[in-house]
Amino acid sequence: MKMKSGGLSGWLIGAGFLLVLALFAGFNLGGGNVDQTASGRTLTILSGSENRPLVPLIQAWGQENGVDVRMTFQGSVDISRALNDGTAIPFDAVWPAHSLWIGLGDTQKVTRHAASIMRTPVVLGIRSETAQRLGWVGRTDVTVQDIAAAAAAGDFRLAMTSASQSNSGASAYLGFLYAFAGNPDVLTLDNLKDPAVQENVRDILGRVDRSSGSSDWLKESFLANPEAYDAMFNYEALVIEANRALVPAGQNPLYVVYPANGLMVADSPLAFIDKGDPEKEKDFLDLQKFLLSSDTQSQLSDLGRRTGLIGLDQTGGDPAVWNPDWGVIPALTVASVPTPTPEVVAEALRLYQTELRKPSLTIWLIDTSGSMEGAPMNEAKEALRMILDPAEAATSLLQPSENDITVIIPFSSAPGTPMMAEGNDPAVLSRLLDQVMALQADGGTDMYSALGVALKQMQGFASKGTLVDYLPAVVVLTDGASDTGYRDRVFSAMAASGLGFPVHAIAFGESDLEQLDALAAATVGKVFGVDKGLSTALRDVRGYN
Amino acid sequence: MKRSLIGLVALAVVALIAVAVSTLDLGNLRRSVVPTEAQVVTLYYGGEKSALLDDPAITDILRDRYNITLDAIRAGSVEMAKTLDVTGKDCLWPSSTVAVDLARARGLRPLSVDTIFTSPIVFYAWNEVADAMVSAGLVRRADDGFLYADVQAVAAKIQEGAKWREDIGINLYGSFGIFSTDPVKSNSGLIWAGLLATAMNEGSLPVVADLSVLLPQLQNTFASMGYMESSSGDIFENFLKQGMGARPIIVGYENQMVEFINANAASAPMIRDRITMIYPEPTVFASHPLISLTPACTKLAEALQDPELQGLAWSDHGFRTGLAGVVNDHESMMNATLPETINQVVPMPTAATVEAMVAGLQ
Repeated sequence: MKMKSGGLSGWLIGAGFLLVLALFAGFNLGGGNVDQTASGRTLTILSGSENRPLVPLIQAWGQENGVDVRMTFQGSVDISRALNDGTAIPFDAVWPAHSLWIGLGDTQKVTRHAASIMRTPVVLGIRSETAQRLGWVGRTDVTVQDIAAAAAAGDFRLAMTSASQSNSGASAYLGFLYAFAGNPDVLTLDNLKDPAVQENVRDILGRVDRSSGSSDWLKESFLANPEAYDAMFNYEALVIEANRALVPAGQNPLYVVYPANGLMVADSPLAFIDKGDPEKEKDFLDLQKFLLSSDTQSQLSDLGRRTGLIGLDQTGGDPAVWNPDWGVIPALTVASVPTPTPEVVAEALRLYQTELRKPSLTIWLIDTSGSMEGAPMNEAKEALRMILDPAEAATSLLQPSENDITVIIPFSSAPGTPMMAEGNDPAVLSRLLDQVMALQADGGTDMYSALGVALKQMQGFASKGTLVDYLPAVVVLTDGASDTGYRDRVFSAMAASGLGFPVHAIAFGESDLEQLDALAAATVGKVFGVDKGLSTALRDVRGYN
Repeated sequence: MKRSLIGLVALAVVALIAVAVSTLDLGNLRRSVVPTEAQVVTLYYGGEKSALLDDPAITDILRDRYNITLDAIRAGSVEMAKTLDVTGKDCLWPSSTVAVDLARARGLRPLSVDTIFTSPIVFYAWNEVADAMVSAGLVRRADDGFLYADVQAVAAKIQEGAKWREDIGINLYGSFGIFSTDPVKSNSGLIWAGLLATAMNEGSLPVVADLSVLLPQLQNTFASMGYMESSSGDIFENFLKQGMGARPIIVGYENQMVEFINANAASAPMIRDRITMIYPEPTVFASHPLISLTPACTKLAEALQDPELQGLAWSDHGFRTGLAGVVNDHESMMNATLPETINQVVPMPTAATVEAMVAGLQ
């Protein structure tokens, strides 16, 4: 009796549902352009750049489920800093590359439902011919010490991301520390204080020829300019992606070397920020479930991510992706570096920023043309103040280290006299700042002749033989269209110099992006907008030099 | 215009049907099955029971037979006992008996405390690691086919500073040890700390006075783990996903594997091929005492002793019964195989000793 009536009422309710469904379908057809955002449901995710290739997959899920998923990309270290704000963080979820960034940043315990979506180790991707020459093909016992020695011998030009901005750089760096500390149980504060450890790590970081704030950009710039360097520390997944672009383009693939005594594995945790909205929480959990479903997991494996229920083993994965000819080991069993405590990670990053990283030689070209008058000029001065004022710079982590060199060249119709500060002596920096504050906006714009002066400065260091001790970069702060009379001459002089430093630009106001983009592309630099705030743009630039 | 008019009519029809169903027929029938309004019991519970409390088979029994629905909020065992506001809560259902002492110390006066389930602390190891530990004489395979670890010998190896590569013969970096959650934050880590302290104290339950000798060794052991997860669910997941190179062997609850295998039945053979459960000898039972603060909770305590519910808790979630006289036979398990009884069990040190130990490990 119970069963039968339950069946009947169930049927009636079911019929009601069908009616309602039919009704909505009718409205949809009539309405015509009802899209997924009509529900008003959004999910914002602050994510590491290495997840960019996953966007189509996630967007498709959003379309199907009526959720507008918006992803914002930042370095894992910045994600960790953003988490410091607790529930004031303007995102519904975070997706850094490693759970250590949640451990470090989530001091207010606002994350929930953290789950590792996929794994990828940080490896050395090195030109196949170089790997061959070094005898590293087919070996699993290449140590961090071997890599350091080869880099010191000039066997390859090395690129990696900034350890104080990006997880892949931080992972490689923690791997260096761990290896030079002699593979302890876990890296400790005492290891960080050890002068021998510091010296060895400073030395390998000194071999880095190119730095960037983002793993994805590093890979892309490698593809755009394959002659610029020979090896990069990056995610196995991104080396695989690079190879899948290099090989069809007729280029040699990169060979994957897993450092035997300094391998860190990114575990890519996706975590919800609990702000007390159960509907958002449900959407989040649905998305997470979708990403962890066996279908999606096998799609992610085809993108070079290590997925599945257990272990890192991708034996049986697509051989075009998990390609042993590229040095990729599907059944990876190399022991990984134990994750240090958040306290040790924080101290290691401070040490990196202030003492161990390769010093930078940054030439700032400041546009003082008439069109900069007013807000743009004030913003440009503000930018320099953030870097040169010791109190300001310490809070934004933009401070020069004691070995950095800062050169400022104002320009309008013609370049001004270069002003220079070596190191981070507050008195010297504030003198430089005073000179910047006294600049007046007037005259026309010739960025290229100023670039010519910057090139001369770089050549001066090169002829003294000291340029190799620095990560050199030029940063242009400008608002507008430059005269082009000197352009071709400067471009060919830069190419002929063989110095290969990047030219980045921070674009103010109505900048002519075409000129800046072309300049950045020619020098493997990057154009930064100020739309996310000046300090963000400056931090971004810092990561790239 | 016309379409929306049809829509309105259709909506009215649906509404009418709904009203008809609820007033006429369904209401009466519901009442004949469930005589009174269901009683909502509010509680804090330890995270290990999440899957169990989400299981419709369990909640159906509570509702249909005992007229109880749960308003349950997940919380840490220690925080619910020590700090969370319990106003309006009927029960606390932590994952350790230490929490009962802590609740009493805070001035709560429970009407009753009933141990509903238990689950022993076990080790989960990659098969290669388990084999190496058998060869090293730390683990034995018993006649029943299960593996048992000699905790005394394991503790001795840890104290000697044994290395995985040199002393256990497996290609891993660092010192030999069993990875656990943070003992300051999580129950399974805390139980492991208690078990290790007992073993390092030559097998006798340590008291506060023993800690001056034991604490430095415990501090070393836990410091060598580096980053420690704060929940047993997280470490279990990281253990599985990050592979042997990251965590060769971990401390967990016996029932975690049962729930994992039941949730991923298709992968059960692969999991069995790669992962081994090892029973420490002696072990500690993590018990799940239901602390009744109101009569409504006392009713829940009775309902949770329903034999069918207890059977499901065992077969689908791996929780051993906390009730005297009930045997957990292993034939009823769906995918996992567990020993019927666990014989070598020690208690945790007293609450005062545990608190002093936690303070020392902070």
